[in-house]
This record gives sequence, C-alpha cells and structure tokens, in this order.
Amino acid sequence: MLEWLEGDPLNGIAITITFFISLVIGRHFREKLNSQEETRGNIIDTRLKILLSFLLIISITLMKNWYIPAAVSFTGVFAAVGMRKLSTYSGKIILPLVLGLFILIIQALTNGTQTVTFGPLTFYSEGIEYGVLVFSRVVASASVLILLIITTRENELIESMQWFRAPPTLLQIMSFMVRYIKTFSHEGAILKQAQQSRCGFPNKSSFLQKIRNIAAVGGLLIMRAFLRGDDVYRAMISRGWKPDIKSGETTAPLNRKDLFTGIVLFSGIIALIGIDMVI
Amino acid sequence: MHISDGILEPKWILLWYILTVIFIAEGLRVINKRIKIDPAYLPRISLIGAVVFVISVWHIPVPVTGSSSHPVGTPLAAIIIGPLASVVISGIALFLQAFIAHGGLTTIGANTFSMGIVGAFSGYFVFRLLKSYTSLWFSAGMAGLTGSIMTYIATALQLALSLNPDNVMYYWKLYSVGFIPTQLPLAFAEFALTGYVIRYLFELKTGIIETPQCPYSDNFTKKALIGMLFILSVITAGAYAGYLGGGDNTGIDEVIETLAAPDSVADGVGVKLMERFGEPVGFAFAGILGGLVTGYFWGGFTGQRRDN
Repeated sequence: MLEWLEGDPLNGIAITITFFISLVIGRHFREKLNSQEETRGNIIDTRLKILLSFLLIISITLMKNWYIPAAVSFTGVFAAVGMRKLSTYSGKIILPLVLGLFILIIQALTNGTQTVTFGPLTFYSEGIEYGVLVFSRVVASASVLILLIITTRENELIESMQWFRAPPTLLQIMSFMVRYIKTFSHEGAILKQAQQSRCGFPNKSSFLQKIRNIAAVGGLLIMRAFLRGDDVYRAMISRGWKPDIKSGETTAPLNRKDLFTGIVLFSGIIALIGIDMVI
Repeated sequence: MHISDGILEPKWILLWYILTVIFIAEGLRVINKRIKIDPAYLPRISLIGAVVFVISVWHIPVPVTGSSSHPVGTPLAAIIIGPLASVVISGIALFLQAFIAHGGLTTIGANTFSMGIVGAFSGYFVFRLLKSYTSLWFSAGMAGLTGSIMTYIATALQLALSLNPDNVMYYWKLYSVGFIPTQLPLAFAEFALTGYVIRYLFELKTGIIETPQCPYSDNFTKKALIGMLFILSVITAGAYAGYLGGGDNTGIDEVIETLAAPDSVADGVGVKLMERFGEPVGFAFAGILGGLVTGYFWGGFTGQRRDN
C-alpha cells in the first residue's frame, strides 16, 4: 500500500505540498468572498431594499400559482446558505411556517366539494390546492423578509424611515424604543436572576406564583422606565433639546446607480407577475 | 399570533393599513399635544413602550398546554399610557417585531389593528368599566383577558375576510376555534400577568396607577372566580364523560322542551336572535343579564349591610 513512499516519494511530496498550499489559498478565497458578501447587502440602498421587498411580497400575494413562490423560497434558502446564515434563517421561518400549516390544514379539511380520502381522513382537493398556494406564498414572503433582516441593520432601518416621510415624533419614539429595548431586556434578565437567587422564588413554583414573580419584575421595570424617562429628559434638556426642534439631518437622495438598480429589480418583480399570469 | 406576509390579499392589506394610519395619526396628535404641555412625556412614553415591548416578548407559562408563550401586552400598555398612545407604541413594536420575523412588513396594518387597536381599546374599556365596581387587580386582569381574546378574534376575522370571503362567518368561527387550544390558556395567563403588574404598581404607590381600589369587593371577586372555575370544571367533566359514553354533546334543551314544556312555541325575540347569531350568544346574553341582576341585589339576598 505504501510502496510509493519507497519507490517514488516525489509524488507524495508533490501532492502534499500542492494540497496544503491549495488549502490555504482556498481558505483565503472563501474569506475574501465572505467579506465581499458582507458588504454585498449594502450595495443596494436600504431604502430601496425595504421598498422592493415590500413590492415583492405584495406581488407574491398576487400570484395564482405556487411555482414562483416556491422558487423564491428556494432562492431564499440558497441565499441564506451562501451567506452562512442558515441557522438564523431556519430559526426565523418557524413561526410563519406554523401559521401557513395551520391555514393549509383548515383549508384542506373544509374548503371545497371534491373529496380526497387519505386513510381515515377526508380532504377537499380545492382546499388542498388553495392551502398549498397560501402556504407557498407565506414561506416565500417570509424568505424575502428574513433576507432583508439579515442584510439590514436597525439604525439603517430607522434612518430610511425618514425618507419614507414617517412623522418625526414617531421616529423619535422609535429610536428611543430601539435604544432602550436592549437596556431593559438586559435589566429584566438581571432582575429575574436576582429574584431566582433568593429563596422565595424557586423554579418549581406554581403557575400563579411564577406569574406573580414575572409580574413583579415587569412592574419594577415599568417603575424604572418612569424614573429613567425623567433622567433622559434632563439629559435631553442639557443638550439643548426642545419639543419643537427640527432635525437638521436630511436624507440623501437616491443616486443614479441606486435608481438603475431599483428599476432593474422592479422590472424583475413585474416579470415574475407576468410569468405567473402566463403559466 | 401575528399574521405573516403572504396571507392577506392586497385589498385587505390596504384597508387595514388605512384604518391603522387613522388611529396612529390620532394617537400622534394626542402625544404631540401632551408633549407641548409636558416635554418629559416623550422619553417617558418611549421608555414605557420599550418596557411593554420587552414584557410582551417574555415567555410566560401557559396553563393547561404546559408550554410558554408571549402575552399581547397592549391592554397593560393601554392602562398605563392610554389606548391611543398604545396604538402608536404597538405600531412601532410590530414594525420592529417584523424585523425579527414576528409578523410581516405588509401585515403591520392588520396586526396593529388587531393587537394595538382592538386589543388596547377593548382592554382599556373593560378596565374603565370594572375599576369602580371591582378590585383593581381584577379589573386589570379582565382587561388583559378581554384584550387577548379580542385580539385573536380580530385576527381570525382578518384571516376569514381575506382567505374565505365567500363564507366569512363560518371561517371566522373556525379560525377562532382553531386558536382556542393555545390562545385561551394564554388569555388566562395574560389575565394573571396584567392583574399582578397593575396591583404591584398600585401597592408600591408609585403614582403610575392612581385609581382608588374598591374596598369591599376583593373577597367577593375571589369567591365568584372560584365558583366560576368549579362550575366550568363540572360542565367540562360531565360533557367529556358523556362524550366517552357515546353521547353527541347536542345538549339537553330539546329534552327539556319536549318533557317540561311540550306545548310551548319557541318564536320569541331571544329565539330569533339565537337563530341569527348562534346559541352561545343568546346564552352569553342571559349570563350577563342574570349576573348583573344577581350581583346588584347580592347584599339583599344574603342579608349583608354596607355601612357608610
């Protein structure tokens, strides 16, 4: 088996060297590709991404065949695999899947006149058809939304809302909420841990006791929010904030490249609707 | 459960967006008016919104099913900051939740309508209605229960209107029944959570909840709830035993009608209403009327006297 070692070691040396050097180069290519992929989401403007995702989801709900929504779903899965975000994707798609299945089952069991029997169960063929269509639409739309989430940051979202003419008060409340949701989640977790570490709050308590404990933490957080709200207000005042102050920030207009990308992708969405109508 | 993208037809997406925008615009008007008088209201309402968001994504134990789920949270928010401000907060919360794939982008209008408008307003009205007559925790708990149930009834209606427009009433009932195994126990969990949070805030005398507690009804409320649970258990056990024995759960009304009142002609207003809206509505009406009258005259029946 190992005759080549004695007879012709050069082959072994050659293959070893080339394999390991190629391994390093291959790894380097993958890393480079990954770094490009991380910024690829940002090649498309966030505002366009939101707008086009919205339009694509609307167009998916207009479709009368399940083929294109299924194709969109598979594209979403492949894109998630390509971005190495399959676990995030699969975690986020569970809830829409459950709702889609719920609708599919109800439609299959109740909607229609022509019956199909599978063992002890009787289904309606029209219901199955419609249920599968709705299910495919739900999965496709969720895939589009998840891809949007994966490639967009929270602050980009809020910034882009200004371009969509969202009222300033709404944006101010939204930015405060985004800032403090993380703070209060962390504080809530600490309070829960502190509560559990005390003898009066065992894990194996009754339902009412558990709810009472959760409610105490919730109540405490609400109190803290009230107190911190006043602190935040004082901090805002000290920085010259006034209720009628206008934000100096203006959103940059879409550049030509963005517009061109938008038009191309929008044409693609229209083409998908057209294909669905022709099928 | 929030409605995901891809379920609602575009015309319904548009309708729910329009209705929600009207309420959010009114909510923003109220908030802006309040900010002009008290500028500290802006960070306060935002932080309260953040806390309610955090509480509403906590997993709470759900009785019967043995699992855990998220409360709606909007009845609690409506009690603390008012229903219109709650609509704005829940609209923002649903927008942010869409970006963790809870709900969807195109269904923000529909979800805000069911959760923010129906849930918050129904919960708030129940709280306002009950707080003068029953204990604070019970009023808040009932607000949580009502808000949670109404949210899911509204969600079921939205699904029925969009998916089965030819037979809305039938599918509305069907989707509502489909939600019951998970959502009814969750509604009871929301009852307990909302009731306890509000009582906690009141007992700490933080000034956040300033409603005076009704002094005489706490014990009575507890007894009434225990009685309700006992009778519900007896009915459920009896129905299940009958079902196991081969019964079809069609009720005993026909037996009573033929044996106790064989000559009666059932054509009154109540019968017509029940024919139109279903028997449970008629029985619920009878329950409300009977409960109100009995509760009102309770002291007279039992000989209790309330000194001023």
